[in-house]
Amino acid sequence: MSLLEFDKVDKFFGDTHVLKDVDLNVEEGEVCVIIGPSGSGKSTLLRCANRLEEIQDGEIRLDNQSISDPNADINRLRQRIGMVFQSFNLFPHKTALENVTLAPTKVKGLDESTAEKRAESLLDRVGLSAQSNSYPNQLSGGQQQRVAIARALAMDPRVMLFDEVTSALDPELVGEVLDVMQGLAEEGMTMLVVTHEMGFAREVGDRIVLMADGRVVEDSPPEVFFENPTTDRGKQFLSKLL
Amino acid sequence: MAESYSDGRTADDEFQEQFLNDKTLKFAGAAVATLFTLVVGLFIGAIIFTQVDFGLFVEIIYPQFVNAYLLVLGIFLAGSVLSIIAGIFVGLGRVSKTRVTNTVASGYVEFFRGTPLLFQLIVIFFGIPAFWPPGEFPIQNWAIPAAIIGLTLNHAAYVGEAVRGGINAVPEGQMEAARSLGMSYVQSMREVVLPQAWRNALAAIGNDQVILVKDTSLLTVIAVPELISAFRQINSATFDPWTPILLVAIAYLGITLPLGKVVRYLEARSDWGGDR
Ligand SMILES: Nc1ncnc2c1ncn2[C@@H]1O[C@H](COP(=O)(O)OP(=O)(O)O)[C@@H](O)[C@H]1O
Ligand SMILES: [Mg+2]
Repeated sequence: MSLLEFDKVDKFFGDTHVLKDVDLNVEEGEVCVIIGPSGSGKSTLLRCANRLEEIQDGEIRLDNQSISDPNADINRLRQRIGMVFQSFNLFPHKTALENVTLAPTKVKGLDESTAEKRAESLLDRVGLSAQSNSYPNQLSGGQQQRVAIARALAMDPRVMLFDEVTSALDPELVGEVLDVMQGLAEEGMTMLVVTHEMGFAREVGDRIVLMADGRVVEDSPPEVFFENPTTDRGKQFLSKLL
Repeated sequence: MAESYSDGRTADDEFQEQFLNDKTLKFAGAAVATLFTLVVGLFIGAIIFTQVDFGLFVEIIYPQFVNAYLLVLGIFLAGSVLSIIAGIFVGLGRVSKTRVTNTVASGYVEFFRGTPLLFQLIVIFFGIPAFWPPGEFPIQNWAIPAAIIGLTLNHAAYVGEAVRGGINAVPEGQMEAARSLGMSYVQSMREVVLPQAWRNALAAIGNDQVILVKDTSLLTVIAVPELISAFRQINSATFDPWTPILLVAIAYLGITLPLGKVVRYLEARSDWGGDR
């Protein structure tokens, strides 16, 4: 049994078949990198994994508990799935610290001072202890994204989902966010990462999953994928990168 | 058609350059504003010195105008608080994806914006007591509660539309980020979306609340002793229009001007590190 399992998942937007019979298992502690052309369904896959989107067929399970079941207690399950978005989505009316403490106090019922202590150590971990009282619009994109990572970590998730979290950043700010993610990976966090950063994919990823047209078309370790992809789609994708 | 010059410029271009440039327009604007101020100032001055009876002015301030002012202020405050609270729920109903909630909220807004406030006041003031046998309606001074109910119901529709606009202007990602942390819809709305929607809607809500102040003048029709009623009483007793008019103007501005300040204070307070 894997930590996060996609079991024959089908997703439609109206008549558009966006995820086609997707099978994907993410093991505990694994960093699974999803790559693929724009529109291939990467974001949708991640959004289904914490039910920001509903699936039409198949099942998604975390720790062997169904996420996609309509009767699942989704608010409980979501606490165990952290998500970081391309557009940060920090709460602009709250300071960095308040962004991190909000869910633990409201959802887990942590008292204010415990939540703040934890938030401070998380902000420290992403290198932002000096910015804890800044509002998001006083922070750079890279800093905002690191706060967003701390915010997701504050719920003690079992798995973290990253959807092109560096795509909206100025090039010189990409590194600081990737460094934080690499740190997390090294500490053993289970991660499902959609990215165009091939250096990161190769160095940090345990597996490379190539999606095309709503399907998983290749699933290999990075050494294999980047040296000698096993499928034609993999070879095609790689040749476009070079 | 404007005639063409060799360099492709037209007579229009020439005219614009000479007479409609930034400098001339700025000067013209200042001139018109000054003239306007002068004329209005002279007019008001003339009225005060030739028309206003200061003996009467002092005599009618208390208790008549002070009472009317306090009553209007009280009705405004009650109507304001209640219409904003109710309006937030109307706005939430308007953005609800539940069909029945959405339809009811829309119908509410359509009705209360689509019929005159005066009509609504009449329905409440005359219509409701008619359900009881003559003389048995239990509420003694019905005009004031009826006024507060009418203003609240009417302005909740406008506040609701402002709140709906404010919610829709909050990026979708805010709700998604909150939900992805395990917060419920209600928690996400309350903690994340509404505070931002409130700021977005503040200017529109402020405008509406100024209108609410002015709408209290309609209450004269349902026999609330407010400012217009006070004017009518004094005018019919003394045949002096301008003395009570001056007091009415001062009284309304005595509510609307501070109200504008409150709105600006609230706007400044939700600055959040200063992006707008
Ligand atoms: N909310 C939506 N409504 C309709 N179609 C959508 C929606 N979101 C995504 N799609 C479609 O689903 C497909 C996959 O999109 P997405 O998962 O965003 O791809 P990727 O992240 O790989 O670029 C695209 O064809 C996109 O147009
Ligand atoms: Mg995407």
